[in-house]
Amino acid sequence: MPRSAINWLGSALVLASLGLLVLGIAVGSTGLESLWRLPHDAVARQIVWEIRLPRSLGAWLAGALLGLAGAVSQGLFRNPLADPYLLGSASGAALGSAVALVFAGAAPAGVLWLARLGMTGMAFAGAAAAVFLALMLAQGAQQGLRLLLAGVVVGVVLGAVRDALELRYPDILQPMKAFGLGSTAFVGWPACALMLGTWLLCAGAAWGLARALDGLALGEATAASLGLPLGPMRLGLIAVLALATGTAVAQTGLLAFVGLAAPHLVRSLVQAPHRISVLLASGMGAVLLLAADILARALLAPQELPVGVLTALLGGSYLLLLMYRRRSRDWSS
Amino acid sequence: MSKAAAHALRAASVGVQMRQRWILEGVDVAIPPAAWTAIVGPNGAGKSTLLRALAGLQPLARGHVELLGQPLAQWSRRARARQLAWLGQGEAAPTDLRSYDVVMLGRLPHQGWLAAPSAADHAAVAQALHATHAWAWRERPLAQLSGGERQRVLLARALATQAPVLLMDEPLANLDPPHQGDWMATVRQHIAQGATVVSVLHELGIALQADRLIVMQAGRVLHQGATADAATRAALEAVFDHRIRVRQVEGKWMAFLE
Amino acid sequence: MLSIIFFLEAISAFAQALPSQIDSIGTDGLGRPVVQGEVPRRIVSLQPALTEAVCALGECQRLVGVDRYSSWPAEVIAALPIVGGGFDPSLEAIVALQPDVVLLTRAAPIRPRLEALGVRTLALDAENQAGVQRMVDSLALLLGKPEAGRQLWQRVQASIDATARALPADIRGVRVYVEVSRGPYAAGASSYIGEILARMGAVNIVPPEMGAFPLVSPEFVLRSAPQVMIQGNADTPPPPGWERLEAVQAQRVCRFAPQQANILLRPGPRMDEAAQLLAQCLLEKAPRHAPVGN
Repeated sequence: MPRSAINWLGSALVLASLGLLVLGIAVGSTGLESLWRLPHDAVARQIVWEIRLPRSLGAWLAGALLGLAGAVSQGLFRNPLADPYLLGSASGAALGSAVALVFAGAAPAGVLWLARLGMTGMAFAGAAAAVFLALMLAQGAQQGLRLLLAGVVVGVVLGAVRDALELRYPDILQPMKAFGLGSTAFVGWPACALMLGTWLLCAGAAWGLARALDGLALGEATAASLGLPLGPMRLGLIAVLALATGTAVAQTGLLAFVGLAAPHLVRSLVQAPHRISVLLASGMGAVLLLAADILARALLAPQELPVGVLTALLGGSYLLLLMYRRRSRDWSS
Repeated sequence: MSKAAAHALRAASVGVQMRQRWILEGVDVAIPPAAWTAIVGPNGAGKSTLLRALAGLQPLARGHVELLGQPLAQWSRRARARQLAWLGQGEAAPTDLRSYDVVMLGRLPHQGWLAAPSAADHAAVAQALHATHAWAWRERPLAQLSGGERQRVLLARALATQAPVLLMDEPLANLDPPHQGDWMATVRQHIAQGATVVSVLHELGIALQADRLIVMQAGRVLHQGATADAATRAALEAVFDHRIRVRQVEGKWMAFLE
Repeated sequence: MLSIIFFLEAISAFAQALPSQIDSIGTDGLGRPVVQGEVPRRIVSLQPALTEAVCALGECQRLVGVDRYSSWPAEVIAALPIVGGGFDPSLEAIVALQPDVVLLTRAAPIRPRLEALGVRTLALDAENQAGVQRMVDSLALLLGKPEAGRQLWQRVQASIDATARALPADIRGVRVYVEVSRGPYAAGASSYIGEILARMGAVNIVPPEMGAFPLVSPEFVLRSAPQVMIQGNADTPPPPGWERLEAVQAQRVCRFAPQQANILLRPGPRMDEAAQLLAQCLLEKAPRHAPVGN
C-alpha cells in the first residue's frame, strides 16, 4: 500500500491541477467566447491572460498555501481540528484590512507609506503581528497549549478591535464582509508571483522541519529525547504558518475550510510521515480551492457565487462521504 | 577504565519541585552499566519523575545528573539521544503513521538532517520489530492496532535507537504475560551485549527479576541495592506497609499480597 | 487592555483629521483629475447614485454597464448588462465591456485591480449635500457639460426649497429620527437627509457631532424621544422597548416601500424627490403646534 499510494495521490493531484487550470481559463462570465476570439481580439486576450489565468493560478497558489499551513498547524498542535487561522492570524489580517479601508486613499502625509501598502500589505502585516503577539503572550513556543490559548485570546481581542472600527466607520462594513467571505476575484500577476515565491519558501521550510512534526506526534518528552531541537524547530514552523497564512489571506480574504479539510482529505487516503503529507496537503488544498473557484464562476454564470461557500460544500461533502464509507466498513468488518 | 565509566547514570542530590511541592528531594542514585535496574514504590512516590530526571527531560531545582560520568548539560543533543533512549508512560501515538514509520522515528538521532533512511536504519528497524514480535503488522497504521500491539511497536521504537542506555516507564502496559516474558528476554539480551536498562514497573513480580532495585517513597529513595540482597527485599516490603510478602518460588522471587 | 483603547483613539484621530473628500474642484475622491482627454464614450457605473447622476445629466446613452442595485431610470437600466454588485463585481464582465472609465466609490476593493489592468476609474462618494454637489460637478466636468451640472444642481435645490416652503409653519421644530438600516444606523444632522430635514425646520435627534450615519443605541433614541420616526428600511423589526416611544404609540412612523427607499437613501440627483417624500411624511405625521426647540 504505502509507497504506491503516495505516488498515486501525488500524480492525481498534479493531473487534477493541470486539468483544472485549463478549465479555469475556459470559464468566466464571457464563457468560451473569449477563448475562440483569442487570436483576433485584444480584449479576449486581456480577459484570458490577464484575468482568468492569474485568477486560476492564484486560486491554486492560495489553496496550496492554506493547505500547507493547515497541515503544519495540525501537526504542531497535534489537533485534527486545527486550522491555519489558529494563532489569531485571521483576526489580525481582518484588522489590517479594516485599518487600510479606514484610510482608503485619503491618508495624511505622515502615514502615506501605510496607504501605499494597500489592503493586501496591511492584511499581511496584521496577520504577522497577531502571530507575533500570540508568541509574546505565550512567552515563546515551548508549550503548545499555552500558545494555543494565547492565539485564541489574540484572535478574540483583535476581532473586537475590528468590530469597534466597523461600528465607528460603517462605510467599511460591506467591503469587510466581502473580505470575511473570501474571494479569488482580485488576484493578478504580481499577487501570483508573490504567492509562488512564498509557497516555494514555505514548502521547502516545512519539508525540512517536518521531522519535528513527526517527533511531536510521539509526545513532547519523546521528541526531546530523540534529540530534536524542539524550540527553534517549533518557531520555524510557526514562522512558516504565519507567512503562508498571511500571504494567502492578504490576497484572497478569509477562505474557510481549505486549511482544515485538505490535511484530513490527505490523511484519509494515505498514511505518510509529515515531510510527505505536508506537501500532499498543500496540493490537495490547491486543487480544492481551484475547483471551488471554477465552480463559483461557472455554476450561475454570469453571476458569481462566494468561493468560501463552495469550498465548504466541496470539502465538507467529500469528508462526509469518507466518514460514511469508513463507518460502514467498520460495521461490516 | 576511568572512574567515569563506573556508573552509566548517576543522579546527585537531585531535587524536583512543582508548584511549591517537592516531588523529589535529595535523591542520590547510581545506575551501574550492563545491568537492569527497576524503580519501584507506591503511587506518587516520584518514580516517573526520577526516570525523567535521569533522561534529562525534567528541569531540576537542585542537583545534577551525569551520563557516563559527564553532566547531562554538557552532552550535545544528538550525542545524548544516541546514548540514551526513552520510552514514556502512556505515550501519545501518531495514529495515522504506519508502524514501520513509527519505529523508524527511533532512528532520528542517527539520521542526517534531510537524509533518507539508510540501510543501517532499515536493518535496525527490522531487528527491533522482530525483537518485539511486531513485524507482522509493520504496514498497518497505529490506529488499527490493539493496545498491546501498539505498545510493542512503541517498544520497538525505543529499541531501534540502539542506544546503550534504555529508560522505560511502564513498558508493560497492555501487554499480556507471554509478551511480558518476551520483553524480559529482550532486556536480558540487551544487557548481555553491554546495555543498561532502567525501568519503572508496578508489576512487582517482574521488577523482582531485575538485577537492582531502587525503592522509593514520597519523593525520596528509601533503599537501592541488588535484588539478591535481603535488605532490598525487606525495604520493598516496608515501603508497601508490609501488605506484601516477598518469597522465592521455584527459584524466582515473587511478591504476594498479605 | 489600555493599548487597544489607545490604538482605537489613534486611528480615530487620524481618520478625523482626514477630509471626507479631497477639497478641490476637478478631482475625484482620490485626488485624481476628472478630465483626462476626451469625454468618455463608454461608462460603467458601480454605484446607483452615480448611474442616476449620469442619466440626470442627460448622458444615459454613454452607459454600457451598471451594477445590480442601479434601478433608475428603469427602461434604460433594463437594457444594460449587469456586472455584479458594488463590492463584488465581475472583473471579467467589466473588462469585456471595454469601458473608458468606471465609476465607483473610494472603498471598492476592485479599484486597484481594475487600474492594474489599465482601466481608468473615478472614485466619487457623497454623504452630505456639499458632497453631492461636488459629485454632480465632477461628473458634469467628466461628461464635458459643466453648465448642465450647475443647472441640475440649481434645479434640485430650488425644488427642495419649494417643498420646504410649502410645509405649514406649525410643524417647525418637530423632533425627527431617521433610521436608514438595521443596526440601527441613523441619518444624522450632518447627512444629506438631515440637511434636507433641517431646511424643513425639523430637528434631528442625532446631532452633527455624531457623524453622518452613526450607529446609535436604542436607548439613545428612547431618551431623545423623537416625535416622528422615519424608517428607510421597512423590514427591520423594532428593537425591544420601542413600543414605549411616543412616536410609535401615536402612530407617527413613516415607512417606505423599497422603491421609495431607493429614492430616499441615494445621495444623488433625485434628492428633490427624496425631499418630497420626507415632506409628505412630515405633513401627515408631524404633530401640530409642536414646541420650538428641543
